[in-house]
Formats: sequence, C-alpha cells, structure tokens
Amino acid sequence: MLENPGWLFVGATLLPLVSFLLLLIGGRHWGRAAGWIATAAIGAAFVLSLIGATLYLPYSGWFAHHHHGHHHSAGHEKHEQHAGPAQKAGHEHDHEHVTLAQREPGVPPWQGGLIWAKVSTGEPGQATGLRLGFYVDGLTVAMFVMITLVATLIHIFSTGYMAEELQDEVHDHQAHVVRAGRYPRFFTYMSLFCFSMLNLVLADNLFQIFISWELVGICSYLLIGYYYERRSASNAANKAFITNRVGDAGFIIGAAILWTYCGTLTLPDTVREQRNAKGEVVRVVEPGLFSRLRMPATDSHGTPLPAQLDEYIGNFARVEPISERSSGDAATRYRFSSSGPYVLLFTADHFHGEDLVLDDGISASTSPSATGLSVMPYWALVLAGIGVFLGCVGKSAQFPLHVWLPDAMEGPTPVSALIHAATMVAAGVYLVGRAFPMFTSEVLLVIAYVGAITLFVAATIALVQTDIKKVLAYSTVSQLGFMMLALGVGGWIAGLFHLLTHAFFKALLFLGSGSVIHGCHHEQDMMKMGGLYDKMKITALTMLVGVLAIAGAPLFSGWYSKDAIMVSALSFVVHYPQHMLLFLLPLITVAMTAFYMFRLWYLTFTGEPRDEHVYEHAHESPAVMTVPLIVLAFFSVTVAWGWPPWDAHASALEHYLDHEMPIYLHPDPDNRQVDKFLAPVRKYAEQPEAFPNVQLPEPHALAGLLALLSAGIGFLLATTVYYWGYLDPEGTRQQFASVYDFLWEKWHFDELYRWIAVRPALVLARVCRWFDLNVIDGLVDGSARATVRVSQWDGKFDLGIIDGLVNLTADVIYAVGAWLRNVQTGFLRNYVLFLALAAVGIFALVSYILALVG
Amino acid sequence: MSVGDILFWIVGLMTALCAVMVVVTQHIVRCAIWLLFTLAGTAGLFFLLGLDFLGATQLFVYVGGTLVLVIFGVMLTATGPFLQLRAGAGEWAIAIIVGLLLYGLIALSWLFADWSKLPESALPDDPRQMYHTEQLGRALLGDTSVQPASELAGVPGSLGAADKASGKLQEPPKRQASAFLLPFEIVSVHLLVVLIGAAYLARAKRKRVVVAPRESL
Amino acid sequence: MNNVGLTQYLLIGAVLFVSGVVCMAIKRNAIGVLMGVELVLNGATVNFAAFARFHDAFRVEGQIFALFTIVLAAAEAAIALAIVLNFYNNYLTVDVDSAEELRG
Repeated sequence: MLENPGWLFVGATLLPLVSFLLLLIGGRHWGRAAGWIATAAIGAAFVLSLIGATLYLPYSGWFAHHHHGHHHSAGHEKHEQHAGPAQKAGHEHDHEHVTLAQREPGVPPWQGGLIWAKVSTGEPGQATGLRLGFYVDGLTVAMFVMITLVATLIHIFSTGYMAEELQDEVHDHQAHVVRAGRYPRFFTYMSLFCFSMLNLVLADNLFQIFISWELVGICSYLLIGYYYERRSASNAANKAFITNRVGDAGFIIGAAILWTYCGTLTLPDTVREQRNAKGEVVRVVEPGLFSRLRMPATDSHGTPLPAQLDEYIGNFARVEPISERSSGDAATRYRFSSSGPYVLLFTADHFHGEDLVLDDGISASTSPSATGLSVMPYWALVLAGIGVFLGCVGKSAQFPLHVWLPDAMEGPTPVSALIHAATMVAAGVYLVGRAFPMFTSEVLLVIAYVGAITLFVAATIALVQTDIKKVLAYSTVSQLGFMMLALGVGGWIAGLFHLLTHAFFKALLFLGSGSVIHGCHHEQDMMKMGGLYDKMKITALTMLVGVLAIAGAPLFSGWYSKDAIMVSALSFVVHYPQHMLLFLLPLITVAMTAFYMFRLWYLTFTGEPRDEHVYEHAHESPAVMTVPLIVLAFFSVTVAWGWPPWDAHASALEHYLDHEMPIYLHPDPDNRQVDKFLAPVRKYAEQPEAFPNVQLPEPHALAGLLALLSAGIGFLLATTVYYWGYLDPEGTRQQFASVYDFLWEKWHFDELYRWIAVRPALVLARVCRWFDLNVIDGLVDGSARATVRVSQWDGKFDLGIIDGLVNLTADVIYAVGAWLRNVQTGFLRNYVLFLALAAVGIFALVSYILALVG
Repeated sequence: MSVGDILFWIVGLMTALCAVMVVVTQHIVRCAIWLLFTLAGTAGLFFLLGLDFLGATQLFVYVGGTLVLVIFGVMLTATGPFLQLRAGAGEWAIAIIVGLLLYGLIALSWLFADWSKLPESALPDDPRQMYHTEQLGRALLGDTSVQPASELAGVPGSLGAADKASGKLQEPPKRQASAFLLPFEIVSVHLLVVLIGAAYLARAKRKRVVVAPRESL
Repeated sequence: MNNVGLTQYLLIGAVLFVSGVVCMAIKRNAIGVLMGVELVLNGATVNFAAFARFHDAFRVEGQIFALFTIVLAAAEAAIALAIVLNFYNNYLTVDVDSAEELRG
C-alpha cells in the first residue's frame, strides 16, 4: 500500500461510505452517537488526506522549487519538471521533458483501477471498458485536503446546529407540524455526500465522475428537502434536481460523443501490467482522452515531430480529407489544415512522425482503433466540450441554470455551507479544470462568457436580497462565475485557486450566518436584525473576516485569488480586445461584491436593533459552533499566504497549483506543446516585458490596482449607506423602483422558465388530455359531432387567429409607443443624464467595434 | 519638481476642488461663489501655461462678465425656497455613477490614446516663450510665418506639408488671406445675434394674459 | 506624476467637465444648471489651452478655439439667463422640474 500512497486517498474516500452504511443500518437508534460516527469518519479521512498530502509534496517536487517565488523567475525550469496530468503516466520511456523528471523513474504514478464492464468492439487488441479507478495529482490532493477539512469542521458545527433534532418531538414552525427529530438521518446523508464528493475528485474517468456527479446530486436533493414538510423545501429540492437534469443531459451527450470517437472515457494515461506472449509482465501505457485529442510533441518512438507540424503540436491536430484519393483506398487519407473539419486522434501505440507529413496524406479511420490513427469531426469535439460544460453549468449553478442554488437554501445551514458553497457546486469548476485539455477555443469562449454573465447577474441580484442566506447564495453563484471566467480565459491556476480559497471563506460565511440564524431562533431576514454585534461578538468578528476575504481586502485569501483572476482576464482582453466585456464585467462586479457583503454585515451586526423581539432573544452560539468558525476564519486569512504575504503573487498555494497546470498552458520557449489560443495570453500574464507593443502598465499591477479600487468603491458605498446612513436606501429604492423590482424578481428567470418550460409541459398535457377526450372519444361518437366541432373550431380560428393577428399588430405598435413614451420624461435633468450615458455608450460601442475590426 | 509644477498642482487641485464644490453645495449663492473661484483658477491655469492673453480674456469675460450676469440672475430669482432646491438620494446616486462612468471614459481614452501619432512637439520648455497677443492676432489674420502648418490648421490646402516622396518641405506660400478670419467673423455675427436675442427675450413685456398673477402668491 | 505635462492638464479639464455634467444633472435650480454648462465649457477650454501649450500642431489653434469658446460661453450665458428670467416671469419658479410640458 505504501508503494502507492494513492491508496491513502482511496481509504479516505471509503471511510465516509463505511460511516454511511453503518448509519443506514442502525443509525436511527443511536441518537447523538450518529453524529460522532460521521464526524469521526470524515475526520479520519482528513487525517489520511493530510498524510497523503505530506507524502505528495516531495513527490511533486514542490519543496525543491517553491522558493523561487515569482513564477516569472521559476517559469523556465518549472515546466520541465511538471507535466500536465495527461503526461504523468505515459511516455516514461521516451522523452524527458514531458515526463516527470523528478518523479523518479520506476516509481509508479499514484493511480490504479480496474475495468468493471468490458465493451468489446470486435477489433483485435481492443479492450475498451468502463473503468473504476483513481488518479492522484496535485489538484486531487489539494481538493481532498480542502474537502475533508471543511467537511470535518462543518460536521462538528452540525452536531451543535442540529441538536434540536435530537428531541422526540420537533415543532416545525414554518410547516406547522410536530414531527419526530431526524438527527441521525442528517448525518447519514452527510456521510453519503462526503463519500460521493471525494469519489468525484478521485475518479480518473468521466463515467466514474458522472456516477459521483449523480450521487452528490441525490444527496443535495435529500438534504435540501430535509425539512420536507415545508412545501418550499420540497419544491426547492425538486427544482434543484430537475434543473441539474438539464445539465446532466448535456454531460451524457458529451461523454457519449467522446466514447464514440475516442473509445475511452479515461482522462489521463493509464498504466496497465500485462503478460505478453512470452509470459513476461510488461507495462502497457493506454493513452487517455487528453493524449488522444492533443497532438504530442514526439511520435511513439520518442522522435520529435517535424518542425512543419509546430502549429499543431499540443493542439487539436485538424485535418481535411483529400477527396481524390478516397476512391480506391479503404481508408480516406487526410492532410493537415488549420481549419480542417476533422481532428486527428492519436489512439495508436505506434506511429512515425514522418508518416504525418507524407505528400499523399495520412491514413486514418473514422472509428476508434487501437492499431491506427483515427479522426473525429471537429464539430463533434466542440459539441462534446459544450456538453460536458453544460453538466458543469448545472452543477455549478451557472447562467442560465443558476436558478436552483438560491432556492436550495431551504436546507439546513450546514448543508448550504458544505454542499451549496464549498464543495458540490465547485465540482463543476473542478471538472472544467480537470478536463481542461479537451476544450477547444470555441468552448473556452463559451465558458468565459457564461462565467462573466453569471458573475454579473448573480451579483446584481445579491444587491437587493434581504434574506441573509439568499445573499450568500447569490454571492456563491457569482463567485463560481468568477472561477468559470478564469478557466475560460486560460487562468487555470486562478480559477482553481479561487475555488480553494472560496471554499474556506464561503463555508465560514455560511456557518456564520448559521450561527446568527441559530442565535436568532431561525430568523433569516436581515431587516429584522441589526445591532447583533454586542450579542454575538465571535460570530460577528469571524464573519467580518469572511466578508473581508470575499471582498478582496489585502492579506485575506480572497485578495490573492481574485487578483489572479483579474490578471488572467486582463491578459486575455489585451490579446483579444473584442472580448473586452470579460474584463469589465468582473471589474464592476468586484465593487458590487464588496457592496453587498458589507451591506450584509452592517445590516446584521451594526446599527440599531430593528426588531426588539429578535434582539432580546439573540445569544451567542455554543463553543461547538464557534470553534469551527474560528478555525475557518484562520484559514480564510492564511490559506493563500506565501512569503512575503503582502506580495499578491507570492502565494504558496498558487505556486503549488502552478506545478500542476496542464502542460498546454506553459508558454515556455522550449515547450512545443503549448495551446496556440491561450499561449500568448499566459505569456503576457507571466512575462509582460516580452510584449513591448502593449502600452499598458504591468498586468499584475494594473489589474490588482483596478480590482482594489473597485472593491474600495463598493466598500465605501456600503459604509456610506448602511453604516454612516448618509444616503437613505429607501429613497434610492423608490427612485429606481423598476430596476429594484427587476432585481428583486431575480431578472424574472423563474417566470421565464415557467413560461418556456413549465407552462408548455402543462399545455402539452392538456392537449393530450383533450386529444384523448375529444379525438379518441370523438371518433367513437361519430363524424357528425366531429363536423360540428370542426366548424366551431373554424369559427374560433377566424375570430381568434385571423382577427387576433390584425389586432395584435395594432396592439404591439401601441404598446411600443406607450413604452417609448416613458423615455420622454420632460425633465431637463434626465435628458442631461441620457446624453452623458449615450456618450459613454457610443464610446464603448465604437471602441468595441474598432477592437472587433482591428 | 520645479516651482511651476508645484504652482500647477496647487492651482489645479484648487480649481478641481472648487468645481466639485459647485456640484455639492446646495445653496445657490454659495454655488456662484465656488464657481467664481473655479473660473479664476482656470484663468490661473492659463497663466501657468504661458497663455497670457487667454487668461486675461477668461478673467475679463468670464469672471468679469458672465459670472456677474449669473449672479444677477441669482439675485433676480432668489426667493425663499428656490435658494435650496434639493435632489433626492437616488438622483444623487445615479448622477454620481454616471459622472464616474464619464470620468472613467475620459481617463481611459487618455490612457489608451497613442500620443506618439501627434507630430513631435518642438515647443520651448519655458512657457514665457509662448505666443503672445501680437502673434496671436497675426495668426488670426492668416500670417503663415507665425503659424507652422498642420493638418488641423484653419489654413486651406496642404500648406507647407512635407512632400511624402521626397521628404522635403514644400515652399510655403507667403501669405494666406483667410486663415481664422472667417470663423472669427461668424463668431462675431453670432454674438451680435445672441445679444439682440437676449435683449428681446428678457425685455419687459406688457402681459395681455396673466398666466399666474403675482398677487395670488 | 513626475513632470507636469499635457495629461495632468487634461485630467483637470476632465474633472471640470464631469463636474459640469453632474451639476447639470442634479441641480434643480435653473441657474445651477447654467453654472454646470459654464463648468463644462471651461473644461473644454482647459483642454484647448493645454494642447496649445504642449503641442506644436495646436499652438495657435488651441488658443483661438479657447477664445471662441469663451466668447460663445458668454453669449450662451446671456441667452440662457434671458430664458430663465422669462421662465421665472411665467411660472414664478426656477425649478427646472416644473418645466415638464414636453413630457411624452
């Protein structure tokens, strides 16, 4: 077992499963002990992960190199040692700079697994199957430590928070029922969730990820509906589950496309020990998805590929068929073309570099094969990427599937903290990061834009929410958008870095809100709080730490990761100025984030108590709840620290992730496998001095300064309004009544979906019913009545449709006119504002068009 | 930092601050006073730039003329409630946001502008070397020996522009008659029209229909 | 900000300009709006003057346009005040929000 410390992580994954099974069998009789069993299991998993992590650090070579500090200086030698996950296992025998030089040769990578369902394609030597495997790299390790640590703390917190469920009779004031306590059930679900989540992170193939994906989904469903007597809770659980189905359909389609064309769902290369004909044990490297999709730098014999293929190396090898050759040969022949409709897949064990540049093209089949090269259509690859990303959109509550997450706050607060803030909703971001090499540039743009829209929309909604948990929920959606955006613009490190820091401070914020809600006897409306600082100092102070972290105050963990995201976005925008929005939206949103978080804190803890009843009965929570808060607050500050702490780009965690970045993102001069779409972006982010044409300050300084300025404005505005009380929020609300209503109604997404999804389904059902009643029965009743009906319907058609169309035209024109009438307010001062806004708008539009053209 | 730079920062920041105070102050008479300081500060900036005639004009016309006019306006209409008309909090918020956006736009366009496309400036470092009233007047009349050619000049044609092929300067014509004379005339006529119009508008009318009788208030 | 040059003057000009726009947008007193217009014009004048000083190409144009602006501003002030006084005569108020007869 110690030969392959990856088993430690398998053990850590299985511990919660054991706890789940135990609790499932006898949990209902154990009362308080059930909580301790679950807590002990996840705590032990944390210890195992920690041991694994300490073993991993020397293995990854992080110790040897992290003292280089800035990645500018470390950049060059770094990439030689650190290959992307795709390369770790494979090609040990050939070239050095792709394999792990310091991961000593002969030491097997931390992976393992077995094929549990064989699917034979009938070709010799082809054994594709569904794998159950584990794969441990730096990202896995970091995720494990984060998940188990946060989960342990939340379990401890829950033993206090859920204590009232221990009673035989619990009064549910919202559902007006008296029911038995359900303490053990809560921990049963929590254990199942921990197992599923860890398994998701551990899995080495898309199918296993999908299984865990569904398992965490069902846990989320069960826990959102924990108070299922409340109609709102059961509705929210259904909504979460159904909305996620939409995304999962995309996931399945994407996975199916990859399976069809690539013949595998395993992400990294895997090593198998096999007996050859002579009976010797040999190690066979089976290429995973990444190695199949992205062109390697060398052929299977270790010879570097010819220089004329430089454009394709590390990218998707796009080819076009040579039509005139296709008649006689069995297989079509292809030649390289940067806009070819096919992508060459490197499924073969053996191919020669010089074969690829033959004048008469490359021979490749259109179905996956173990013995030769094959091709897949480029559009299918794009579709697969978008499909897999759609799964992530659902799970990570991205626009347009973000509607379920705020409703999911119906679950108990520890669930919101663990599942709907720190871990499960981050799974989408994790998967995008994990599957990063399979995304084409088109998909990356989609990811970036979805992230940008999400972070903006969610932040605007959070501005007006009054339920303390809803504010946090929308802030979670918004922060996940930040991560998606970062990944989409090539900030692989930035996105996952923010995932890790966000997990800590958002869990802290949720637990803090849980402590407030607990102390205020399940009052969640901030408008009824105020002045609670005197009553619950620990909660208030730890929450302030969380607020500062999420707002991006210097020296708090959020500052480092948000800075990294802004740098990535800025670097991207500098190279692709037509996507200017990808930098402007997050910049504005940083200010909004600071505003709504400080609004939350001021409304809850400062000022005069707005509801005497709530204030009178408020009390600080017991130590079992405040200690996890303090621990989380500690990590929310320090988790991203490096040396020196005041350097935003010296974060140790960031440099740790730097070592785990896919090789396609390393813009070093002797790395041939760089992604051509993102390489200049990454290079600019890390070595701006190499771009003398760009007349901008250094991106780290500029992005950091702008983000800090933006956050400062948000903080000042919140302080002016809610602390000093200079501006009256009520007056502002009346001033912008329509905007306020729009935000209060969450951009009317719920209504929209009601109209485009729920209503049509109901209408369809009614149509079917009508069909049954009238057509089927009507046929039996005879044609005479049918004729009457037809003529009746015809009359209705005349009246309804024909007349209706004529009237509709008039009505639409009238409505447009009536609406436009509002623009002419007659107020001079409004006209001035319109003028100024128009100037800004025209300028933005013109510069956008110029950027698009130039 | 030279004395001139320090003076610039003092005068410039004062001017900017006074301009902001004009916006922030609620009382209309105080507003007028802040405006006075702003306009005087602008004149100071002109002097610092070495544009004496412009500065003097600013003082004469603006501070001496326009502002007095404005203050007359204030006094004529300053009755009770109109001294302090307040805008709502929301209006403040939106105006500040739009203002910040506008300022950001201007600052951005300044940041991203490629100044190197402008011709290399051959101006003296010492502001005292700047053109004074005499040259200004001659330039206004179209004396090209004063005004070097540029594409933006009010002088028609490619006066003195470099021959792109040879790189040599073309022989500039000795005198060009029009120059800024036409705009100057247009402005003069405009001013005349405006003065007549203002007098017409502001004249005491014999009201035939009393819209809102003064006595009723 | 080591050496005072074109950009510093442009910044001051921009402050004047934006102050003017905001002033126009929030003053309910018609005279206050007029002051905003003066500020805007002043901002533009500062820009002209700065270009006149710091770029050869605008050496004369900058000054002359600045002069034109000052003159036009004076004319504008005269006519606007006349309008305000007329408005005051007719409505007995200088609140621009009461001038809303053009509302759609």
